[in-house]
Amino acid sequence: MTEKERESKRLFLKTILYGSLTAFSASILYPIYKFLKPPQQTEVEVSSIKAANISDIEKDSGTMVRFGNKPALLIRNANGDFKAFSATCTHLDCTVQYRKDKGIIWCTCHNGQYDLNGRNIGGPPPRPLEEFRVVIKGGEIFISKNV
Amino acid sequence: MRKVIIIIILSFITSFHVFSQVKVDQCLECHKAIGDQPSTLFKNDIHRLKGITCSGCHGGDSTSDDMEKAMSKTSGFIGVPKGDNVSKVCTNCHSNAQIMVKEYNSALPWNQEALLAQSVHGRLSISGKERIVRCTTCHNTHGIVRVKDPSSPIYPVNLPKTCSKCHSDAKYMRTYNPALPVDQLNKYRTSEHGILNAKGDPKVAECASCHGSHEIRSAKDVKSKVYAINLPKTCSICHSNSNYMRGYNIPSDQFEKYSNSVHGKLLLGKNDFSAPACNDCHGNHSATPPGVESISKVCGSCHALNAELFASSPHKKAFDQKKLPECETCHGNHEIITATDKLLGVQNGAVCKWCHGDKPESKAFQTAKSMRELRDRLVNEEKKALLLINDAEQKGIEISDAKFKLRDAKQALFESRTMVHSFDQSKFREIIDKGLNVTAFVNQDVSSSIDDYFFRRWGLGISSLIITIVAVSLYLYIKRIERKQKSTV
Amino acid sequence: MKNYFQNLYKWIDERVQLQSLVEFMGEKYVPVHRHSIWYYFGGISLFLFIIQVVTGILLLMYYKGSEDLAFESIHFIMSKVEFGWLIRSIHSWAANLFILAVFIHMFSVYFSRAYRKPREITWLTGMLMFFMALAFGFSGYLLPWNELAFFATKVGTDITTAIPLIGRPIMEFMRGGEDVTGATLSRFFGFHIAIFPGIFTVLLTIHLLLVQRQGMSEPLFIEDEEKYEKKKMPFFPNFLLRDLLLWLIVLNILAILAVFFPWELGTKADPFAPAPAGIKPEWYFLFMFQTLKYIPANIWFIEGEIFGVLLFGIAGILWTLVPFWDRKSSRGERNRFINYIGIFVVIYIILLTILGWLT
Repeated sequence: MTEKERESKRLFLKTILYGSLTAFSASILYPIYKFLKPPQQTEVEVSSIKAANISDIEKDSGTMVRFGNKPALLIRNANGDFKAFSATCTHLDCTVQYRKDKGIIWCTCHNGQYDLNGRNIGGPPPRPLEEFRVVIKGGEIFISKNV
Repeated sequence: MRKVIIIIILSFITSFHVFSQVKVDQCLECHKAIGDQPSTLFKNDIHRLKGITCSGCHGGDSTSDDMEKAMSKTSGFIGVPKGDNVSKVCTNCHSNAQIMVKEYNSALPWNQEALLAQSVHGRLSISGKERIVRCTTCHNTHGIVRVKDPSSPIYPVNLPKTCSKCHSDAKYMRTYNPALPVDQLNKYRTSEHGILNAKGDPKVAECASCHGSHEIRSAKDVKSKVYAINLPKTCSICHSNSNYMRGYNIPSDQFEKYSNSVHGKLLLGKNDFSAPACNDCHGNHSATPPGVESISKVCGSCHALNAELFASSPHKKAFDQKKLPECETCHGNHEIITATDKLLGVQNGAVCKWCHGDKPESKAFQTAKSMRELRDRLVNEEKKALLLINDAEQKGIEISDAKFKLRDAKQALFESRTMVHSFDQSKFREIIDKGLNVTAFVNQDVSSSIDDYFFRRWGLGISSLIITIVAVSLYLYIKRIERKQKSTV
Repeated sequence: MKNYFQNLYKWIDERVQLQSLVEFMGEKYVPVHRHSIWYYFGGISLFLFIIQVVTGILLLMYYKGSEDLAFESIHFIMSKVEFGWLIRSIHSWAANLFILAVFIHMFSVYFSRAYRKPREITWLTGMLMFFMALAFGFSGYLLPWNELAFFATKVGTDITTAIPLIGRPIMEFMRGGEDVTGATLSRFFGFHIAIFPGIFTVLLTIHLLLVQRQGMSEPLFIEDEEKYEKKKMPFFPNFLLRDLLLWLIVLNILAILAVFFPWELGTKADPFAPAPAGIKPEWYFLFMFQTLKYIPANIWFIEGEIFGVLLFGIAGILWTLVPFWDRKSSRGERNRFINYIGIFVVIYIILLTILGWLT
């Protein structure tokens, strides 16, 4: 191999090396840069078995919380006691709501009615609402599945 | 003259002989002479006609006219039986197949006692010493006649009054079951069955037709003829028998239709008690078909939202004017099939077309058309979203948020079905739009997640390529350095 | 370009006297023989540790270490943050590869007797780092606060109670209370990102300095073989470049794993729910876990579990102190006994890990 050929080969190799090194650094730095850039939804949504603080829930009210992938209804009755149910109607899976005016849990789809113990008392629902366990620890309300 | 006297004496002797051969019921003879009620009633009793004497139930010797002998304990006399002993006396024969069939050639059943023992009437009465009823409570004591005899207290026309002797007595019923109503007879008299029964028709249903006779069980008892799941069959015993129903001018296919309906399939097929049986719409004791205006109240007692919306829609006035029954016109009465989108719109098979199909420019036609189109759109969008979600899940992509959001679309579909009954295009559109927003969001979100999946693989491919190039060139560089080092050594 | 670097070098050298250091570095050589390949595993371990630090710091930007936010924050990273899935999966895979690498590195050092005089301290710091690697794995595993991790931590911390006298206080110290709660999570988080990295860095610095100072150890047989010529290659640039090449390949492997076998998240931990069936720890603890299962409930007067824990404790201590009781190797003599013990340990670990995995 002549000196010239060797020289050009060396140059070729050098270019490839440095070029690919640059591409390599870019392929490392680009994801890191994108990672650090804040995403659209800037914060994590609070949705957990910690449903709320006691101080946030009024007496005789119902709040919707997300329990994993399903909606849950946390009810505080007039005495101050807490109850939690799956908010999925047992008829055809619509989402129920707490009706303060009627004193019941109501489903808007087909007028299903449940009493505040989750029992189906009117309309098409065939079964009571699944009840969740409510545990109060240190001013916070935790909801978990009943086993 | 002498001839006449001999004939008279001879006829006396022969008649005496004849009489002495015939089994004279001496008990009856004496008691008839006293003229007491049992003997008066017993004259028409079927047991007497069958040749059974007083001693057949009371024991004793009915051939003797000596009271001491006839009513002595040694001859088996038991006096007036009290409490359950009354029924025991009856069942001595009536539960004995030998006697009933062999001796008397009777076609009557002989299991009445067994059925009664298991029935609600077979329970102990307040005194605790005997059952609530005895045979004689319903059948009478001394004047027992066949059921088919119009004078029997259990002849169909008379039976309601017989049952109501106890069952309409509030004070009496309270001691047994305060929750049981006592107005059945009153209600019955307003029903078609009751009206015809009062007119003297023995074919129509009365208490025993539905509740049974000896085997009456509480309506909550699974074996009862009027237990919700059994009740349609009970009604159909008469109402599906076209021969029996001839002359009453009503169809006899209701049970068949009901069994194919969504209510029938739920109740009879899936034992779902939220579905109505015949009595839930027609009433039990006041059984009458619901009228034209009242039918929506009947349907609306469960389908409240639909009824409410209908009542405030333009259809209410129109239907009332045309004397059309509200819910039944579109949905049917007995053969109510599951409502699908097929009923909605202006295409063939849609119920809207029946009235509005001939005027395509009318507001009604346009409303029906657009409601169907909107529903179809939302159904398709939801299907698309579900397919996308499925695809994403197959690929192992995290889309639980989107799945959760999609519930709202399903909810919108349900709510829109109800909102159809308002026949108000803008209200309907509102709900559909709510659903379409959700599906649009979900479709976009999941699509971008799936795109990300492919992007990752492309990205990996390119990065691997770059790394490989770097590695190879680095390796060549190392080799070059080492070659140089070797040559300088 | 070259001038620029030369000027920079001169500027620093005038202040810090880099020259002597550079000369020293330039004279470092790495022995080349048929077992040289094992030399690379130290570097691989180091590389993987660096990866962990980098990806760990990146994850810190979004991870929230409290009971009700931990799971959700990782879900957030996996689904909403750009390349979050990549960073997180690399972190999880690299953790496992890191522990595998240190296992191999440790055993290769053991079998080549590199722990013998004068490298006892290197071995000691290395063993301590090995235990810390396991501690990193244990503490990090809990951080997603998912069902598997929660119960694995519960079982794992339970085992510490088997240590007589001090077992229970140790468990309460680890758990931040009697049960595994949010306090445990906070504690483990603190351990994982601050305390352990601090201690590990100190150990690592000592370890690397010693390696640089003392150079690579050569296996004993090399001195025996006559036909053998002592081949060697300079540390700079040969060994280093080769090391880098290997690192590149490992990086690529990590990327492939992250894309095709993304790390699962599972379901959120529910302290009030019963444990799912078949809970077992991560693979690197499996052999110990399985051993405990085989020990009978009572051996003499000692409870089975205590016996097992003590057994492993003593084994670990003896292993760590091998430079001090393997006198023969220090003298340069062949010690077949070490081989036998080592092979037994390797086979035992592999066998029980497989058994633990299958049952």
